[in-house]
Amino acid sequence: MSSVILEARDIRYRYPHGMEAIRGISFHVRRGEKVALVGPNGAGKSTLLFMFNGMLRPDSGVLLFDNVPIRYDRKSLLELRRKVGFVFQNPDRQIIAPTVYQDVAFGPTNLGLPEEQVRAAVEAALGAVGLAGFDRRPPHQLSSGEKKRVALAGVLAMDPDLLVLDEPTNALDPAGSEDIMELLDELLEEGKTVLISTHDVELAYPWADRVILLRGGEILKEDSPEVAFGDAGLVRKARLSVPVLLDLHRELERRGLSLPGKRPRTVLELVQAVERAPRGAGARPPCGIIHVCDVDVTGKETLAAWLSANDGISIGAMGTRAKQRAATEGLPLDFSSGVIDKCILKALNGRSSLILTVGGMVAQVERRVAGFREESGAAIEVRRLEEA
Amino acid sequence: MYEELLEDIAQRNGLREVNTSLKLAAALGGLLLCLVSTGYVAPLAIAVTLSLAILFFAKVDARTYAGLFIAPFLFALMSVSVIILLTGGPDPYWTWAPFSWLSFSITQASVNEGFFVFCRIIGGMSALIFIAVTTPMTDLFAVMRSWRIPEAVLDLAMVIYRIIFMIMDQLVQTYQSQSMRLGYSSFRESIGSFSTLCGSVFIASWDAGEDLVRAMDARCYAGRFAMLGETRPVEVKPLLVVIAFLLLSSLIVVLTGNITVIRGGP
Repeated sequence: MSSVILEARDIRYRYPHGMEAIRGISFHVRRGEKVALVGPNGAGKSTLLFMFNGMLRPDSGVLLFDNVPIRYDRKSLLELRRKVGFVFQNPDRQIIAPTVYQDVAFGPTNLGLPEEQVRAAVEAALGAVGLAGFDRRPPHQLSSGEKKRVALAGVLAMDPDLLVLDEPTNALDPAGSEDIMELLDELLEEGKTVLISTHDVELAYPWADRVILLRGGEILKEDSPEVAFGDAGLVRKARLSVPVLLDLHRELERRGLSLPGKRPRTVLELVQAVERAPRGAGARPPCGIIHVCDVDVTGKETLAAWLSANDGISIGAMGTRAKQRAATEGLPLDFSSGVIDKCILKALNGRSSLILTVGGMVAQVERRVAGFREESGAAIEVRRLEEA
Repeated sequence: MYEELLEDIAQRNGLREVNTSLKLAAALGGLLLCLVSTGYVAPLAIAVTLSLAILFFAKVDARTYAGLFIAPFLFALMSVSVIILLTGGPDPYWTWAPFSWLSFSITQASVNEGFFVFCRIIGGMSALIFIAVTTPMTDLFAVMRSWRIPEAVLDLAMVIYRIIFMIMDQLVQTYQSQSMRLGYSSFRESIGSFSTLCGSVFIASWDAGEDLVRAMDARCYAGRFAMLGETRPVEVKPLLVVIAFLLLSSLIVVLTGNITVIRGGP
């Protein structure tokens, strides 16, 4: 297993009787990375994505998966498509079967798994996307967000290493988009690599580890989001817009506020930079505590008892299962998106908060807060509820 | 174009979680008993029982059910009146012979025969509607597989089922955009709009077909289609209800085979 999962070396593609859609692109994606392919309509994003699972074959150049050049015979393609899960832009076009179960089971069944394993894979995939119990529902009765999650589950059931999503939040409402992006973060925690295409800069900017700006079938820029989107001229050339946070940061700097540190990716980082900017020193209240609760481990009574002891605390939920748990137990959620940052903001104000989440995300909270502590020197403590 | 589809009713009905075979046994058993019965009482009783089951167990809205029933009901009335007029018999209550080769009459035998046929029709209809509103297509696919219907036919049926709803969406959208721009304001206009509607839906379904192949390939299609078998066990209570229904109906068939609407006679 190599650390580079996908690599393109000078690939070109021309549609039959048409224009050249991809004009010599080279890049690579590392394992466990979040990469966003950002570009305007017609930049060749979808064409490029279709090459990653062998649906299209480049006219020239080489694509390597796991350091092995992709081969286009039937057997190699099947293997490739198992490892590269592709989620189409329009879930209606991806969902083929008359019920949710049958659709999610489509991949595993065709891989030839025995029925019990198929059933287990489907249950796990539906559980992961928060659609447990939807087995018998026909897809045409689901909402767009639910359809998108069924499409994602159908791919997850094959246990791919690389997830490729074409415009994952297209046609979703803001809450639905948040849910999908959060789901992708959960999958990253499980060791998957995620590559998305989008023209939504606000979506790509805080999320991606690396951004590839694409225009007219060529790569304009490939770098970390704050650098790639930082070049206003380039961004304009790509028919995109500078993310609001970057824009604001630049405007503040122009007004003579010297903001330390790198360019902010989140509201928290911007606030932190502004707070640390030289000005009259004010006394800060002591930091609040961030409590983390793994809803898979903590029982209903424990949680209820804890909450009654800490009445009025702000509650945030990360991940679909945590949100479902909050809904079933009637817990009022103060935050459901950007939860960690909002809780850190609360803590900086001297207020404590509780984050409901699952499994690996607990560690993510701890890592994120530890990283912030190191960077800012603010003594924010993270406490697991189970240990209290 | 905004009508509730029968399939949507079936997906939400109160008997959704009852084992499919059990529901089919009740309805097909009822249908069979309607056919073997020689008297009108049994089909009538079956019609009433199944209708009550549809209204109170499956919780189908009474108005919806009436809407479903009205067309076959009217059809039954018309055919039955023809039967009553054309079936001959001794001792007519009323006759009319406009020509030497054509005569109408109402006799005791024709009324009995007509009413019997009428009860059979509504008995059979309620059995069929019972299946339609309690058992969604998606459940029937699983049953069809257990009946050894060829895989190819079944796979095709499932893909068609899925695509019907997508094409339906396309149809509604195109129709709306046409009628918003007065595409159906006159007869001439309607003909033109309707033909473009057909054309655009055809192209859309062609597109959908190509996407389908791509979607299947992207998920390693190798000629297999997953099936969700019956996961709902046969529960004791529904089983007893179905057995009781079929036994009682059979009993009525046997005991009331000779009863007619108008008895005795000269």
